[in-house]
Amino acid sequence: MTRRLTRRTLLRGTGAALALPWLEAMTPGAQAAVTKSSKLPVRMAFLYMPNGVLPGAWTPEASGSDYELTPSLAPLAEVRNEVSILTNLWNQSAKGGDGHYVKTSGFLTCSTPNKTLGVDININGVSMDQLAAQKLGGLTPLPSLELCTAPVTTGVDKNVGYTRVYGSHIAWGGPTNPLAREINPRLVFERLFRASGPNQNSAKEDVLLLDRVLEDARQLRQELGTADRIRIDEYLSVVRSLEDRIEKAGRPERRTWKPRAPINAAAKPEGIPKDHGEHCRLMLDMIALGFQTDTTRIATFLFSNAVSNQNFAFVEGVNSGHHSVSHHQKDPDKMRQYQIINRWHVEQYVYLLRKLRDMKEGESNVLANSMILFGSGLRDGDRHDPHNLPLLLGGHGGGRLIMGSHYVFSEDTPLANLYVSMLDAFGMPVERFADSTGPLTPIIHT
Amino acid sequence: MSFPEVQGVLKKHCLACHQGKAPTGGFDVTKLSSEQSLNAQPRLWARLGNRIRNGDMPPKSAPAPAPETRDRLLTWLDHTLQTVACADGISPGNAPIRRLNRDEYSATIRDLLNIHVNAAHALPADGAGGEGFDNAAETLFLSPVHAEKYLEAAKQALDYAFTDTKARAVFLNAEPGKTVTPEEAAQKVLAKFLPRAFRRPIAPSESDRYMVLFRDAQKRGESYERSIRYALQAVLLSPHFLFRYEAANPEAAPRLLNGHSLASRLSYFLWGSMPDETLFNLATEDKLHDPTVLREQIARMLKDQRSREFAERFVEQWLNTRELGRDIKPDAKLFPAYYDAEIQGAIRYEPILFFQDILAENRSITELIDSKFTFLTNKLEKFYGLPNTKLRQQPVRVELPADSHRGGLLGMSAVLAVSSYPQRTSPVLRGKWILDALLGTPPPPPPPDVPELAEDHSNSAVPKTMRERLSMHRDKPACAGCHSRIDPLGFALENYDVLGQWRTTEGGKPVDSKGQLPDGAEFEGVEGLKNVLLEQKKVFARNLTSKLLGYALGRGLTLEEYCTVDAIVADLDKNNYSAHTLISGIVLSVPFRWQAGTAQNQPVISDNLSRREEPK
Repeated sequence: MTRRLTRRTLLRGTGAALALPWLEAMTPGAQAAVTKSSKLPVRMAFLYMPNGVLPGAWTPEASGSDYELTPSLAPLAEVRNEVSILTNLWNQSAKGGDGHYVKTSGFLTCSTPNKTLGVDININGVSMDQLAAQKLGGLTPLPSLELCTAPVTTGVDKNVGYTRVYGSHIAWGGPTNPLAREINPRLVFERLFRASGPNQNSAKEDVLLLDRVLEDARQLRQELGTADRIRIDEYLSVVRSLEDRIEKAGRPERRTWKPRAPINAAAKPEGIPKDHGEHCRLMLDMIALGFQTDTTRIATFLFSNAVSNQNFAFVEGVNSGHHSVSHHQKDPDKMRQYQIINRWHVEQYVYLLRKLRDMKEGESNVLANSMILFGSGLRDGDRHDPHNLPLLLGGHGGGRLIMGSHYVFSEDTPLANLYVSMLDAFGMPVERFADSTGPLTPIIHT
Repeated sequence: MSFPEVQGVLKKHCLACHQGKAPTGGFDVTKLSSEQSLNAQPRLWARLGNRIRNGDMPPKSAPAPAPETRDRLLTWLDHTLQTVACADGISPGNAPIRRLNRDEYSATIRDLLNIHVNAAHALPADGAGGEGFDNAAETLFLSPVHAEKYLEAAKQALDYAFTDTKARAVFLNAEPGKTVTPEEAAQKVLAKFLPRAFRRPIAPSESDRYMVLFRDAQKRGESYERSIRYALQAVLLSPHFLFRYEAANPEAAPRLLNGHSLASRLSYFLWGSMPDETLFNLATEDKLHDPTVLREQIARMLKDQRSREFAERFVEQWLNTRELGRDIKPDAKLFPAYYDAEIQGAIRYEPILFFQDILAENRSITELIDSKFTFLTNKLEKFYGLPNTKLRQQPVRVELPADSHRGGLLGMSAVLAVSSYPQRTSPVLRGKWILDALLGTPPPPPPPDVPELAEDHSNSAVPKTMRERLSMHRDKPACAGCHSRIDPLGFALENYDVLGQWRTTEGGKPVDSKGQLPDGAEFEGVEGLKNVLLEQKKVFARNLTSKLLGYALGRGLTLEEYCTVDAIVADLDKNNYSAHTLISGIVLSVPFRWQAGTAQNQPVISDNLSRREEPK
């Protein structure tokens, strides 16, 4: 599935205006290729909205570039040339199961999770963002960012037979490894700052310390049975990667990364604001900051967990919780509120796109070198339907993507095809991803 | 349900597809036609039960059994499979290695260093598995962010501890002086610190490994304090500290856990933290398995303030009140009273302090359903409309007047709010909450493709009141099966608004809190509901026991372990449902005190499924 990185791949995707040591992780041949390239890094982010959309107010009637914006998509007017609307993609693996958990957890894996309250939790795949992070995440101080606004939902849902862990994770580093999300913008800022900043004084000591810890873990591993070793292996792996990163940060000659823009320590957010909208925007700010400074190139963000009943009374015209109105049962008032909530999410998406567009990067801007996918794992929240998912893709992906259109694909085109094309634009082409049948040809320059 | 009756149901609803050369899904129900199959094919039977329970079978294209038949079949199956499973005793289940969860990490650092800051504040929250708790081994994952946060948290905690006199007194038991070299002082500090941090005795070689770090720092020219701190930081990052694991049992047969492992199980169950010196020493002296000693320790631990941690984590996840203020927020415009710091804190802590008190004072767990006291602050007392007894901002125990409408969990704001919508109460949500949280019999999700009942169509044509609208449930066979159980329970609580304030009218009409159970029994209001629940106290106790056992073990229960649960419930029934009977029943049980060997599913042959000595 993962091909060796070719010269062309590197030229196309990761690019490098920076110096040679940047790509030490690659083969020596590749390094030579990269130094000649002048391309900027490509980033990708995934913004997940729980609870689906009101279909009638979402999809424009016309396809192509002359479509008329629908009520829910009206905020896109400001970024129309930088966004495409994707219609008729579906996630085959998310049919059945239940209304939310299966749809959320499998959004980026295109695989079906085990039905379990926890004991054999397994997504049976790897999410595409993590596939990319595992391959190319070493090029930046942080391989990826995982963000949300709410802690993992409490408990297990015995009603439908799933642990709520599934509804709180879209990033999966492995079949049994959902990645922890951060919800406090201040902590995310500190993490970005620490990772990108020159923090060399204690680096040597930290590395020695972590060596000791690794030694303990290896020795403990010997005493454990096979099943338990998996957990210690996870620990070994996360400690090793931290050690590696600290080591690079502490030895400039070994450093493979250079900040593209400084982080202003004074811009640190206060913490979790009371207002949900402000909270969302601060988290999006962190993604933008991570991308601008090239502290990371991969991010996932859940506006909230699956089945979220976030009260949207702070938005004009709404007085209810999100999940409640998503089960509108054709009730006009609920449909109206549901649509306003959908539109509100699109506004936040546009907020991020604008922010990235305003970040100049050479002759272009960060948005032009990014791919920002917005979507939900189900269509109509009243029906829990994984056909024709609501999806928006923004940014030109370093010039590879063709934006400004409403693409209507043939019915039930695999969502995984989109991911194949995004991975290609990101710089790590794959033959297949999950149930993909090929690239999503019209959106990408080949 | 009798076996022939079961066969009748299977024949009618399953056989058409599930037989012959190629049964659908490879599932052949003819394999389950003899009573012997219950012993020979328990897994197949369990799979059948799960498919039916989850509503996967029969498929919607085929006729389904009546809900009542379905429930009876599942009850019969659970009971039968359980009896078969533990006929020969209980095999201790798995105890997989697991990291400390965020709360355990925080409490453990607090007790280890004697500092009162939350060292885990930057760690991500943990998800839940097993019986629904975030201490389940299976869902305690590790992400790269954890390694970063552990490194930072250890630095910060030690920075703080080294500047705090009380903290230093606990862990810095030696300093270099005229007669003591830095090397010797460091040895002494580690000799005391390591067994506490690793929750077990340590070998001298283990201490040597950290001395290497101390010496490294000394060579760099660091001070004694900075050098020892460096070594301690490594201890706090060691998997021996961060993970809980039990040395494997190399024998085939199950055995009693070693004392220190038992001490940890006990302290993380009842304190959510490391064992204290008393427990550690009892383990070292090999006295901890003595039932009398264990009972004394349980009583002591439940009186200790650290049991607050346990009450908080258990109650908030059991009752789902942790989501209050998170995903479930009363509407700020309609219920501004909630947005007051004292009220919010008082509402949150009422069920926690109440539960803690029931355990500490060894009250009856039936007081969770009905009690004559609760915990209130000045504002919450006023909020509940109770006579002012001059309370303060800190919640205290209050005896309730006879006519107070309070007492028991059902009269608490936290419970009533978490089972409401942000804007209004819902008899359906509250009824479902009672069935799920209190009785452990959650109703299945609505069948697919049955339009949900428009519970609050403000503009729908004919029926107007909530009760009229919900009565439509009774008229639809697809709904009636479950809603005849759900709705009446919720209606009984209609005198409480979203925040649990008492009301006698709603929307200008008198509140109607009457209900009728499927068996025809009628009851009214919260008092009537409490009686209904007290009549089912065994069901309630079984649910609470299984939740607590799942919490104590940090995983989901096996079929056999429900026999342990039933044995404890039988004990409770004989002992006035006393809280200590419950907790000691769990602690003295095979699943809690024993460790599996290399042979799979080898039961512990004991005359009792749980220990039944009467308290002396």
